Amino acid sequence: MKKALTLALALMGSGAFAAPYVLPAAWMAQSPTEAKAGGEFRSYTISDYKTLNPFTSAEADSLPTIMGGPAGLFNQDPTNDKFVPVMADALPTVSNGGKRFVVKIRQGMKFSDGQAITADDWITTFKLHTDDKVGSNSYDNFFLNDKPITVKKLDTYTLQFDFPSVSASALNRMSYTPWPDHVFGPVYKSKGADGIKAMWGISSTPSAIVSPGPWVISSYQAGQRAVLKKNTYFGEWFKDGANKPLPYLDSVSFTIVKDLNAGLAAYLAGQIDTFGASKADDLAQIKKAIDAGNLKATLVPNVGPNSTSSWIVFNWNKAGDATKQKLFRDVRFRQAMSHIANRQAMIQLALGGLGSEVYSGVYPVFKNYQYASTPTYKYDLAEATKLLNQMGYTKKNSDGYLVDKAGKVLEFNLTTNSGNNVREQLGQIFRDEAKKVGVKVNFTPVDFNTLVGQLLAKGADRPFDAILLGLSGGDNIWPYGSNVVPCGGNLHAYNVPSDGKCLNAQENLMTKLYYQGDQTLDDDARRKIGEQLSKVEGQNLGFIYLVATNYHVTFNNRVGGEYKRNLWDSYYGSRPAYGLTTFIK
Amino acid sequence: MLPFLLRRLVQAVPTLLLSSLLIFFVISLAPGDFLTPAKLNPNISAQQLDNLTRNFGLDKPLVQQYLLWMRNILHGDFGLSFSFQAPVLQIMWPRIVNSLWLVLVITVVFYGLAIPIGVFGAVRQNSLGDRSVNVFMYFLLGFPSFFLALIALYFLLQIIFATHWAIPIGGMTSPDHASMSAGGKVWDVFKHLLVPGILLGIHQTAGLSRYVRALMLEVMNSDYIRTARAKGVSESSAIWKHTFRNAILPIVAGIGGELPGLISGAGFIEVVFAYPGITPMLLDALNAQDLYLIAGFTMMTTILLIAGNAISDILLAFVDPRVKLG
Repeated sequence: MKKALTLALALMGSGAFAAPYVLPAAWMAQSPTEAKAGGEFRSYTISDYKTLNPFTSAEADSLPTIMGGPAGLFNQDPTNDKFVPVMADALPTVSNGGKRFVVKIRQGMKFSDGQAITADDWITTFKLHTDDKVGSNSYDNFFLNDKPITVKKLDTYTLQFDFPSVSASALNRMSYTPWPDHVFGPVYKSKGADGIKAMWGISSTPSAIVSPGPWVISSYQAGQRAVLKKNTYFGEWFKDGANKPLPYLDSVSFTIVKDLNAGLAAYLAGQIDTFGASKADDLAQIKKAIDAGNLKATLVPNVGPNSTSSWIVFNWNKAGDATKQKLFRDVRFRQAMSHIANRQAMIQLALGGLGSEVYSGVYPVFKNYQYASTPTYKYDLAEATKLLNQMGYTKKNSDGYLVDKAGKVLEFNLTTNSGNNVREQLGQIFRDEAKKVGVKVNFTPVDFNTLVGQLLAKGADRPFDAILLGLSGGDNIWPYGSNVVPCGGNLHAYNVPSDGKCLNAQENLMTKLYYQGDQTLDDDARRKIGEQLSKVEGQNLGFIYLVATNYHVTFNNRVGGEYKRNLWDSYYGSRPAYGLTTFIK
Repeated sequence: MLPFLLRRLVQAVPTLLLSSLLIFFVISLAPGDFLTPAKLNPNISAQQLDNLTRNFGLDKPLVQQYLLWMRNILHGDFGLSFSFQAPVLQIMWPRIVNSLWLVLVITVVFYGLAIPIGVFGAVRQNSLGDRSVNVFMYFLLGFPSFFLALIALYFLLQIIFATHWAIPIGGMTSPDHASMSAGGKVWDVFKHLLVPGILLGIHQTAGLSRYVRALMLEVMNSDYIRTARAKGVSESSAIWKHTFRNAILPIVAGIGGELPGLISGAGFIEVVFAYPGITPMLLDALNAQDLYLIAGFTMMTTILLIAGNAISDILLAFVDPRVKLG
């Protein structure tokens, strides 16, 4: 009641509602006038949904994420990666040397239960995410090097964020989804973190769930299907280029299939509208069905690389084996190993031709952070032999393997996680190529958890030689991993001594450049730092990057609302996320 | 009867205790824990990992975790699933019910086919019919069920392409299930159950029909059947009343053992047909090392196994006058 009163007063004060957010028509393949309202978009997911609670949810494509959709202060423009205000009325006013951001909230926005969205909702959401007893996955979002970010309410529609240091990811960190204070606030006050954790489980009644975003849960059947219905209040402030409310659809459904084959079968049978094809075989089946006229769908293979890559890392902390430690720490050895990696063969044989070569820690999909100046050590066996010769490996034994002066064979163990067919093939290709220059690679897949334990081990004598694995995710604002690049990070996997110290000048420089870029607000200046960082990374070759899988798009022709073709990539997708502009023709 | 049940109950206590120990520690023996994949995420800090480890109780010694779990179980609480952050029973129950429906269809198909086929094989031993059924059954036995399901899926798709019939090829309900009438809902679920149910029913028939055939043959050659026949008992009476009743005793004895099978679901066929039963959930849980979900479900099956065996014994006492409880 009190909230309603302050709201009424605030509305009287401001006089009128602010203008709605308008999604630019220029981004879209079809004109907004072609879009029809209503209907259901049928999607799928390969794992069961775990919860409706935005504070305990841990998966990437969780129901709270979909419900919230683009509800957040800012969002990125797919044409130039810049942030644009969404729930904010305008870009923030920056002061205090780039550490204080004052944000005006767009007025007139409502939750799915009709209650106004105000500064209190951001404050409560912030409190819950930063309570370590709640265990929110977004916890890290509100800390910079363990120092907390603070958020304060200046008035009903104004927020003030204070950062402990300048941060390139500031706007991103502020763009969290505000969940209703009037639902979570009272529970948190009376029952604390445990009360919050017990809320909004997967079997909660849909009517109890309140969303600020385009969707709200309509029904959920364990292991079968989640159906989300449109939050009509969302369209009041989120419009398309013709000023029509979004989303167009009445509902989206997610059928849960445990197995991708079941998903493919459902797609081929026309029972779902899209499929995330990743294997050559899947693409072939879809193409065959389209060509035979059995499936009326669009298929665009090889749109671009995915934001993931596989790599080989050598262990620099092998006190127990001085020869290997010296070998792995020698940059010429690592260059030689990069020359041995036959990335084209990996793409053709392991990925069925559907992949891209990778030479840097930044996934190739982040185009703004790819530089011609980054050194690449491409497939070149002659060059590899030359480097190994320089290191003293000039003679081969009767088996054809290089030996040092003492007659010791140049060999190491390479592991990857068993069961991952692609990685197993990558490792085999690497081993076969290495043999050609006389390097003996003992390649064995081991259990995933054992492997992770080895990779993350700390100290002077870590229990592995070399590991083939991959990482994924991240964003295009400052696309270097905070615990991968700087020394001391637990994924700085090549050198993890107990004290977390750097070993060489390049690591020191990388650590410095990482933090420098992370604390640079200006996009162009940051990209320049990125260029330096990429160069040092390439010279250091802590990770030897191999290949990335490619992103493919396919959808049923009965749906429209995709981006213009030139905007498609694996980061932004082929259409605005969460079915915002998708419509049934 | 009562002393028998009481004795069984007392015997069950050490059995359950020992199996709970085994379940819990064997699961914990696997390297890594629920948070291992999170450790490979470049976006999660070490501090956050510590928070989660503490919140999930993974920082406590294993023995303490076990004792806590045991105490909760005695209070009827199987613990919280890590990935769902919800009580294990609440997660398992809808899946068990779903699996139950599928398994019931399978069981009906299974007994409905296996017994007549087995009896036929025994009565017409080595006839052309018997031999061809045998060959077909051997053929089926050789296929893993999930492979059979994949082949069936392929043919179903071809039928859909050719005829454009809306045959359900996965899941348990149609997208518009919620808006159907009560009768429509039942029919909708039944349609979804039919293909996987028949498929697995037929697949399992291969084993049981051969068992029935062997049991029948053994009894048919016994003296009292010969005596009955000699006394002029009709053929059908000799087969069904005298032979069959005695031959199925071992099968009746085994029915109780099917009880945990009822809730364990239909295995990989559920995965291939995207059926929301227990197997896909259990696979997810194993994959994620969701300790309490796996342990809770395994405990449930153990309890049912013990109960099922007791039921078996009671049933056997009813069917076989030679067996006495007490």
